[in-house]
Amino acid sequence: MRNTFATYHPIIEFGFFCVVIGIGMFMIHPVFLAIGASAAFIFAILTGGKGSLKFTLCFLLPMIIVVMVINPLVNHQGVTILFQLKYSYITAESVIYGLMMGLMLTSILLWFSSYNKVMTSDKFTYLFGRIMPSISLIFTMVMRFIPNYKIQIKKIADAQKAAGAAEAKTLKEKIHSGIKIISIMFTWALENSIDSADSMRSRGYGLKNRTAFSIYRFDRRDGAAAVFLAVMTVIVLIGCISGACHVDYFPEIVYAKANLIHISSCIAFALICYFPVFIEVKEVLVWKHLESKI
Amino acid sequence: MEAFRIKNLTFTYPEKTRPALRDINLDINMGEMVALCGQSGCGKTTLLRNMKPLIAPHGEISGSIEFYGTDVNELSQEVQASRIGYVLQNPDAQIVTEKVWHELAFGLESLSMDTKTIRLRVAEMASFFGIQGWFHKNVNELSGGQKQLLNLAAVMVMQPDVLILDEPTSQLDPIAAGDFLATVSKINRELGTTVIITEHRLEDVLPMADRAVVMDKGEIIADDTPADVGAILAKKNHPMFLAMPSPLQTYAILYNEGVGKDLECPIDVRTGRDWLTKLLAGKELSVTELAADEESLPVDNETGKVMAPSIEIKDAWFRYHKNENDVLKDLSLEVYPGEIFCIVGGNGTGKTTTMSMIAGLRKAYRGKVKVNGTTAMLPQNPQVLFTEDTVREELGDEFRKEYELLDIEDLMDSHPYDLSGGEQQRVALAKILQTDPDILLLDEPTKGLDNGLKKELADILNRLKERGTTILMVSHDVEFCGRYGDRCAMFFDGRIITTNTPRIFFSGNSFYTTAINRMSRHIFTNAVNVDDLVELIKANE
Repeated sequence: MRNTFATYHPIIEFGFFCVVIGIGMFMIHPVFLAIGASAAFIFAILTGGKGSLKFTLCFLLPMIIVVMVINPLVNHQGVTILFQLKYSYITAESVIYGLMMGLMLTSILLWFSSYNKVMTSDKFTYLFGRIMPSISLIFTMVMRFIPNYKIQIKKIADAQKAAGAAEAKTLKEKIHSGIKIISIMFTWALENSIDSADSMRSRGYGLKNRTAFSIYRFDRRDGAAAVFLAVMTVIVLIGCISGACHVDYFPEIVYAKANLIHISSCIAFALICYFPVFIEVKEVLVWKHLESKI
Repeated sequence: MEAFRIKNLTFTYPEKTRPALRDINLDINMGEMVALCGQSGCGKTTLLRNMKPLIAPHGEISGSIEFYGTDVNELSQEVQASRIGYVLQNPDAQIVTEKVWHELAFGLESLSMDTKTIRLRVAEMASFFGIQGWFHKNVNELSGGQKQLLNLAAVMVMQPDVLILDEPTSQLDPIAAGDFLATVSKINRELGTTVIITEHRLEDVLPMADRAVVMDKGEIIADDTPADVGAILAKKNHPMFLAMPSPLQTYAILYNEGVGKDLECPIDVRTGRDWLTKLLAGKELSVTELAADEESLPVDNETGKVMAPSIEIKDAWFRYHKNENDVLKDLSLEVYPGEIFCIVGGNGTGKTTTMSMIAGLRKAYRGKVKVNGTTAMLPQNPQVLFTEDTVREELGDEFRKEYELLDIEDLMDSHPYDLSGGEQQRVALAKILQTDPDILLLDEPTKGLDNGLKKELADILNRLKERGTTILMVSHDVEFCGRYGDRCAMFFDGRIITTNTPRIFFSGNSFYTTAINRMSRHIFTNAVNVDDLVELIKANE
């Protein structure tokens, strides 16, 4: 999938996800949740395509319903009684609160699914490599070796099968052969790590003052995005702290009156959440325009 | 000026009495390309590693190694890392990071260069090596050949004066190996980098090298231009000539029988062709071809009927996933008991898939696959067969007489991973022979083996064949198939294009054929291996 947001500097991407997930986790105001969930959904579809749609329909929607059903069963606070179930009351507040929690979980999961598509491990390594160079190197090596181990295990298992050895039939035999394969995989990994260590030492690993190279550049577009996101975040935070976006669900649902601060912080939050969608749409429009000229 | 000057170097590994290197004297001039040859275990790697103390093995050392006039042990880590580049054998294990661009930058990061300098150096190297196309990829997505090129680039980015390569292409297929060696040659010619390389594929390396140094049992036995080294070995009648390219082997055999003593030693197909032309110039040729037996099917001695095939594939189709392209298309194949059947062909044509289908790991979705008897497969890398800590545990207590022909008694108490490539392969063979398979499947059995080890393998296979085992191998090694196979088949685009006896098969191909055939086809119609050519030349003496 083409993904314009992923071409921004990793710090912008990381900052964006921190803000949307962070605010999304603490704000239980329905407007905020609606903005967050819808933006997360659209962005997830943009980055993940069909897979994300399937994930949402098959897993997230049922999850919202389950949370909506379970919450009132265990939480009996609230004043508006919908009906009585044996010895407990089901309240409207509790159902709505369950819906809100479901939406919150949904949007966070969707944000994380886009996060995985946008923030590839090399970007993460790059960000944290500046703070902790040695740990980030270990991290990148782990990222490199885990798939190798998987491939090797498959190879060993296939080789055993094709070598004509009696196939493990009982559970005990299967476990036994599995343990053997894992243990020889570790031997193999250790053997290989001797070569890796030689190759690292041969290229000067262990010298003092190691630098961290990256292919990312912080350009003017990144600067503009940073300022925009920072200003919007401040507006949202003002709204949160001032209590203009406060909601109580129990015992009854109470909103703070809508005022200028409230409205502007909602708009600011929408601008943040929809930022990746905006730039994607802009990109599409720009290309439409360019193509029409060709 | 000499880049390296090695004087009276002797090296002994701990707890060993015999030195691994004995009294080595070697000068390597600036800008030279030196090919270091010798059989497995002759001390090549030990010598190379001692030239870079950062990765030198432990042991007792005497004599001296100087790098541009300074003893190597006095060189700082920085100098060693940046000025002496070293590429190892295993393409995978050498790569440390996850991304191609990061791997390229790794060495420069160690040398604490700033981002701007690294960016320029990396860009230069990526352009030189033509790897812009996969610059942003994960290293796991690369092919073996690309990985090894990346390793080379990741060393070259530090702009070393000397590049040391320790069997860099032993794990690669011929096409990838050719690309890699061409790049090495380009580095040597265009950047003037001194290159020291050890390699099994001497056919490819010797023609590029300025000098060949031959080692045997830890000593240097010849050190001259490749052609003169061939002549020296021939004059000494030294068994090392078996490790040399086949034109050179032919020369050496005939030399010792008094033929062609005054001609220069050939090292590749081109010089081999000239040599042969000169050798036979002005002679009346009475014999120009050998008797070629047509493809004949094995006959049962008792009944006198053609034996039933042990592998019978008819119109088989296969693909890995529903939505992918077919890997095997309409494949038909028959292999009979007691023959060595070789499948040759390029990468990704479906050879290994065919093999795993016969082994029962995959199933054809259309067509018939009939296997009469038990199968056992020797994988490309025999290491993956081992699951125990010693060879003895691997093979069990019962001593079988096949082990004698495999010559593994001395290895019984070693860890399988500590064995050399050839030894590992013999133990792996012993392990799969335990099940008494009727059909032996070999996937690239000669990968990483030198000529001596290949001959040992061929002897073992021949003895198994005599016992009636069906042997099916897929290989890139046309020289091996042309010499030891009973029937050869060309695999292309998911099916077998043609099958015949090696002599007819390889003399019918003009590109995909042995070096001997390519150098002699203008005179003899069907010489395929060294023995053929020697026989034909002698017949015309």
